[in-house]
Amino acid sequence: MQKYILQFIYSFVLRIFLKLIVGVKFDDASFLEKEEQFVILSNHNSHLDTLSIMASLPSSIIHRVKPVAAGDYFGRNKLISWFSRFFINAVLLERNGVSEKSKGSPLAVIEKAIDEGYSLILFPEGTRGQPEKMKTLKRGIGIVLSKNKHVKYVPVYMDGMGKNLPKGETLIVPYNAKIKYGTPKTVVSDDSKEIMTQIENDILTLKAELL
Amino acid sequence: MFEKIFQFEVFNNNDLLSVIALIFGILTFASLLFFAIGKIKPDWNISELKSRTRSWWVMSFIFIIATMFSNTISYIAIAFLSFVAFRELYSILGFRDSDRYAILWAYFSIPIQYFLAYIGWYGAFIIFIPVIMFLLIPLRLVLKGDTKGIIKSMSSIHWILMLTVFGLSHMAYFLSLPEIPGFENGGRGLLLFLVFLTEINDVLQFTFGKIFGKRKIIPSISPNKTWEGFIGGLICTTIIGYFISFLTPLSTFEVLFASFMIAFAGFSGDLVMSSIKRDLGVKDTSTAIPGHGGILDRIDSLSFTAPAFFHFIYYLAY
Repeated sequence: MQKYILQFIYSFVLRIFLKLIVGVKFDDASFLEKEEQFVILSNHNSHLDTLSIMASLPSSIIHRVKPVAAGDYFGRNKLISWFSRFFINAVLLERNGVSEKSKGSPLAVIEKAIDEGYSLILFPEGTRGQPEKMKTLKRGIGIVLSKNKHVKYVPVYMDGMGKNLPKGETLIVPYNAKIKYGTPKTVVSDDSKEIMTQIENDILTLKAELL
Repeated sequence: MFEKIFQFEVFNNNDLLSVIALIFGILTFASLLFFAIGKIKPDWNISELKSRTRSWWVMSFIFIIATMFSNTISYIAIAFLSFVAFRELYSILGFRDSDRYAILWAYFSIPIQYFLAYIGWYGAFIIFIPVIMFLLIPLRLVLKGDTKGIIKSMSSIHWILMLTVFGLSHMAYFLSLPEIPGFENGGRGLLLFLVFLTEINDVLQFTFGKIFGKRKIIPSISPNKTWEGFIGGLICTTIIGYFISFLTPLSTFEVLFASFMIAFAGFSGDLVMSSIKRDLGVKDTSTAIPGHGGILDRIDSLSFTAPAFFHFIYYLAY
C-alpha cells in the first residue's frame, strides 16, 4: 500500500509540480533500476532536495529507497515522526549525539536500513547550507560504506534548490533548478576520511559539469 | 459546460484551416528536405537543424491545440508561457536573496494580468504592469530594507515583467477583442497571423543568414545577425504577410506595413535578448527546447512583435 502511495505522490504529483511550477530539470535516473543497493549522496540546500531526488527516482524502486532525515526535526513528535516515516519513507537519525532513547551509535539506524536491504538518500553535509556552497562532509556514511562494500554510492549534485526554497523560508519562489546524477561507484578504501574526500570530489565534479 | 470551454468552429473556418495546413506543409517540407540531405550528404552536419525542426513540430502542435479550440485554455496556456519565460529569465539574471518577495509579487502579477485580459478590461490591462507593478515592486524591495544593489534589482524585475509578461499578454488580449461585423476570423485569426509571421520571420532570417550571410550588423552582440539575413527575412515576411492577409481585417497597404513592422520588431526582440545573454555570458537561456535553447530564446521576438502588432491593429480596426 505504502509503495503505491509513494509512487503516486512522488512519481506523479510531485514530479509534475516540480517540473512545471518549480522548474526542476530532472536527470535520467533509470539506470538505478539495475543497481542492487545504493546510497545517493548529494549536496543539501533546501527541503526540496529530498522531494526532488525522490521524484527523480524510477517509480518501480521508490519504496526501496529511504531518505535519511534529522530525527530532531522530522521526528519531533509522534505524529510528525509517523508522517515522515510513512510519506517520506524516512530513516530518522539523531544528529546531536546519542539520545537517551536510542542506545548505541547514531549510525545504527542507517546500518539497520542497509542490512534490511534498503537503498538510502543521504546528505553528507549534515544540514542545509548556503546555496551553491558546500560544507565539509560528515564522516558517518564513509564508515558505513567501508563496512558494506557491496553497497555502491551514487553522487548527485543539485543546483538552484536553495534559491527556490532556502533555509528558514516557507514560500517557494520558482527558480530553474537542475539535478544531476553521477555514475554509481564502489568504495575501495577502508579509511572513512579517504572515502569522504573521494565522495566530495565526485560531487564537485558533477557541479563543474553542470555549470 | 463542455461546449462553453471548447469551440470547434475552427473546422468551419477555411481561412484558419488553410494557414494551419500551410504551417504543417512547411514543417513536412523541412523534415523531408533534411531527411533527404541526410541520405545524400551524410557528411554534412545537420543534426541541429533536424532537432530544431522536431521542436518546431512539437511547438506548432502545442500552439494550435492551445489557441484554436478553446478561449479559456488559450489564456491559461499563454499565461503559463509567460510564467516559464519569467522563471527562465529570473534564474539567469542573478538576484540578491532579499529580492525573493518582490519576485514573488512579480510572479503573482502574471495571473492578474491575464485575468484582466480575460475579462477584457482594456484600461486596467494596459496599465497594470507598466504603472501599478512598476510602482509596487520598488516599494516591496524598499520594505525589505536592503538598499545595496537595489537599483539593479528594481530595474531587472521591471525588465523581466516587460519582456515576459506585458509583451506576451497582448497575445491573449487578441482573444478578448470585440467582434467586427463582416470579419469572422476574429482574435484567433489575428493571433495566428502574428505568431506565424513572427516565427516564420525568425526562421527566414536564420535561413538567409546561414546561406547568404556575410556582413554582420552588430558583431559585438551576435555574430549570426547579418544584413543579408535581416533584409531577406524582412522582404519575405512582408510578402508572406500579404498572402495571408485574409486573417486580418486590414487593407492591403496596412497589411504590408504590419508585416514589415512584425519582421522589424521580431528582429529587435531577438537582438535585445542576445545582448542580455551576451552580458551574462550565456549562450542560451536554458535547455528547455532541443535545438533552440530556452523558451525565451524562442519567444524573445514575440514579446516585441505582440504589442507592436496589437496596438497597430487596435488603433486601425477597433
